[in-house]
Amino acid sequence: MVHRLSRRWSAVAALGTASLLLAACGTSGGPSTSSTGAVKTGGTLTFALDEDVAGFNVLQATDGEFVLAEILDQVWPSVYVIHPDLKPVLNTEIVSSVKVLSNNPQTIQYNINPKATWSDGVPITAQDFIYNWEAQSGNPKYTDVGGKAYEPASTSGFNQIKSVTSSNGGKTATVVFATPYSDWQSLFAPIIPAHIADKVGFNNGFQTFGSPVEVSGGPYEIQSYSPNEDLVEVRNPHWWGAPGKLSKIVFRFITDDSQQPPAVANDEVNMVNPALASIAFLDSLKGVSNFSTQVDPGLEFQHIDFNESNFYLAQAGIRHALAYGTNRAQLVQRLVDPLTTKIQTLNNHFYMPTQSQYKDNSAGYGAFDPAKAKALLEAAGMKMGSDGYFHPTSGPEKGQDFSLSISTTSGDQVRAEIEELFQADMKNVGVKITVQNYDANTLFGTVGPKGEFDIIEFAWVLTPFASGNQPIYCSYTDTAVCGINWDHYANPTVDKLMDQAIASTSPTAAASLFNQADGLLWKDMVTLPLFEQPQLFGWSNTYGNIQPNTSNIGIPWNAEQWGVRES
Amino acid sequence: MGAYLLRRVLAGVAVLFVASFLVYLLVSVSGNPLAQLQANPHISPATIAAARAELHLNEPLLQRYWTWLSGVAHGNFGTATTGQLVGPQLWPRIEVTLKMVIPATILSILIAVLIGVLGAVKQYSKVDHLLTGLAYLFFSTPVFVVAILLKDYLAVDVNNGIGHTVLYTIGQNTPGTTGFWNVLTDNVQHTVLPVLTLTVVTYAAWSRYQRAALLDVLNTDYIRLARAKGLTRRRVLYVHGLRNALVPVVTVVSLDFATILGGAVIVEIAFGWQGFGQFLFQALTGPVSPDVNSVQAWLVIAATAVIVFNIVADVAYGLLDPRIRYA
Repeated sequence: MVHRLSRRWSAVAALGTASLLLAACGTSGGPSTSSTGAVKTGGTLTFALDEDVAGFNVLQATDGEFVLAEILDQVWPSVYVIHPDLKPVLNTEIVSSVKVLSNNPQTIQYNINPKATWSDGVPITAQDFIYNWEAQSGNPKYTDVGGKAYEPASTSGFNQIKSVTSSNGGKTATVVFATPYSDWQSLFAPIIPAHIADKVGFNNGFQTFGSPVEVSGGPYEIQSYSPNEDLVEVRNPHWWGAPGKLSKIVFRFITDDSQQPPAVANDEVNMVNPALASIAFLDSLKGVSNFSTQVDPGLEFQHIDFNESNFYLAQAGIRHALAYGTNRAQLVQRLVDPLTTKIQTLNNHFYMPTQSQYKDNSAGYGAFDPAKAKALLEAAGMKMGSDGYFHPTSGPEKGQDFSLSISTTSGDQVRAEIEELFQADMKNVGVKITVQNYDANTLFGTVGPKGEFDIIEFAWVLTPFASGNQPIYCSYTDTAVCGINWDHYANPTVDKLMDQAIASTSPTAAASLFNQADGLLWKDMVTLPLFEQPQLFGWSNTYGNIQPNTSNIGIPWNAEQWGVRES
Repeated sequence: MGAYLLRRVLAGVAVLFVASFLVYLLVSVSGNPLAQLQANPHISPATIAAARAELHLNEPLLQRYWTWLSGVAHGNFGTATTGQLVGPQLWPRIEVTLKMVIPATILSILIAVLIGVLGAVKQYSKVDHLLTGLAYLFFSTPVFVVAILLKDYLAVDVNNGIGHTVLYTIGQNTPGTTGFWNVLTDNVQHTVLPVLTLTVVTYAAWSRYQRAALLDVLNTDYIRLARAKGLTRRRVLYVHGLRNALVPVVTVVSLDFATILGGAVIVEIAFGWQGFGQFLFQALTGPVSPDVNSVQAWLVIAATAVIVFNIVADVAYGLLDPRIRYA
């Protein structure tokens, strides 16, 4: 699973999270497309990416970037492909059919397409499944070339697999889980060619462009790569499925988003998806003729977290007071409405409104109610001072203005505005807020992990698979799994519900359990979700079959169907 | 002159050494390259520990510096945080920047001298006022604004007027172009705007130096004497005046050249050129940053360039002004 971190790192600052990802197209009206009409064979499309790749193995820890996932969509095959509706769909070109043989122990049988072959002629077999599991299992028993430990970007799900076995001459892979994993469809996405990785190494064999990177199991293969400039894909001549329409897809690295619109206007770039969907970016594209833009709610959300290791924020009543004092509707109105009206305040921690499992579990805890906020602060033993700020009657700030700091990544316009509006809201209920921002590396590398903050604001990037959220909300005392719970939150009931959800083999039951856990998160008010981060897509109308996909695989999910429209 | 040069070189090396030490220290303590990995809950502590060891972050700072220094002494700039060697990345980056900076510098010198001379000779005329106004306008316009204006109001309009893309706004070339003439044309088409941008902001200051220097010279006694001896105005201006007026300008150009080399970063970003400035920018802001080895490599080369061009300025000064040569 890929995290979108680094791409959003500087711009959106998403924390990277986890392997959570994806975004979706608006529920209203569903995914819009640039015509599904007939397209010609041939032609080139140039897609601007705002970051170069750090290497070519998207499954490896330091390479696992969103831009690379986009580049590999058509190169390394995935068993399940996330469609724009955020539902995983079986990729029958790779695996003809999947059977759940048993729920206890959970056993999945993958019948590999007999035609599936890597572009160097080696068939895709169960061996690839075995290698992909071992490399991402986190089990020290399995090692990379030279006996080194594998460095996978994620072990989620793979670490619950007990065995992967080969049968039917290697064309059937059977996966048996030690503990059930409800999001098993997120696994083997994508698949690294085992016969290559085994030779050159998982960690370091794909760090630079060369023959290992040129091997493809998809409709396109990487033809050339100029560091920091561009990467060119052409059709994989050994592809057994329907051939891609375009003869060439160019990924052009334009690291400064603001330089993309002029390149679009000058017809040097045909498709954009900037890291930050800004009003300025959207406006500058509006003047370009024959160009479509679309803003969708992403699988990524802004939120305000309260650190329970703070003397005052340890009290649920005070956390609720801050939440009641926050005018979330106004945040949406100011920051999101100019881009899209598809986004409202967010009332769930696990699912986004674009997902069918979404439910409003906020039970009124997310409402804007300054009077109630003040009442709760008084109930917590605070006295309103003559300067308009509450004064605690106990704790480190006894007798002084009740003040807290808020931190986020510096230089991020959206987050700075969230802080300002929050500051004003809090002043309104008698709480003094000071802003203390850090660069992304410090915030996510030191301040967050060490819990050196009162309130922190950033965005989580999710996948459609809710299990990826567990490390954020499970009790911080379990440092091995819950290292990203920076808020010092702990609730054994939430832990139990999430464990049950992840182990559930019924998607409906899993969603219901996650939603129950979400209800408790609202009741405990450790983090206040604000809104989904909008995602902006733009493409030239010269091309057809383009369908934005807000998931972690991005808009090239169906690039093999992109083509120049027949006029 | 030889002893003088030697002294300058030695002093330069000492400065370089101290700078490299300080920058290494400051950059190393200013960030955490593992932040991104640590912020990802799916990356196990074992993986992070392995990455830490790979980047030598578990070693004391001084030891890391020593490793770096002894590497550089053997021509090895170390490994970037991406796992790639730093050394082989440098020249392609410098080449990109030079492709922009050399034409821009030549163009700027020509324009600056021409306009400076014109301004001095026709001091306080309408032309002088116009050129002065323009120079101040360009001098005070931020580089990125020039870039945006040229893109939006020159490139797009020219291309629309002609009907196909003549001027490119992004990148050094079009991927997949083949054939000598096609590649050459394509490169030139991509180079026009960056060079123009850099020229506009560079020539402005230089032309002011040129104008002031020439005015100084034209008001000296020896020029008056030359005129009194009956030499033509043209000969006095070019042989006696301009040659001496070039001295301060050569100094400024030499010193600025090294700075532009390392500092063309804004033009590089604006036009998506992966040059030497972007190399530093990316080393400081990339996903696994700060990338100390890359920053250090940039520093060594940029600082060396500054030192070398300082010396070049001194030598050129001497060549143009015999009084300094023989002093």
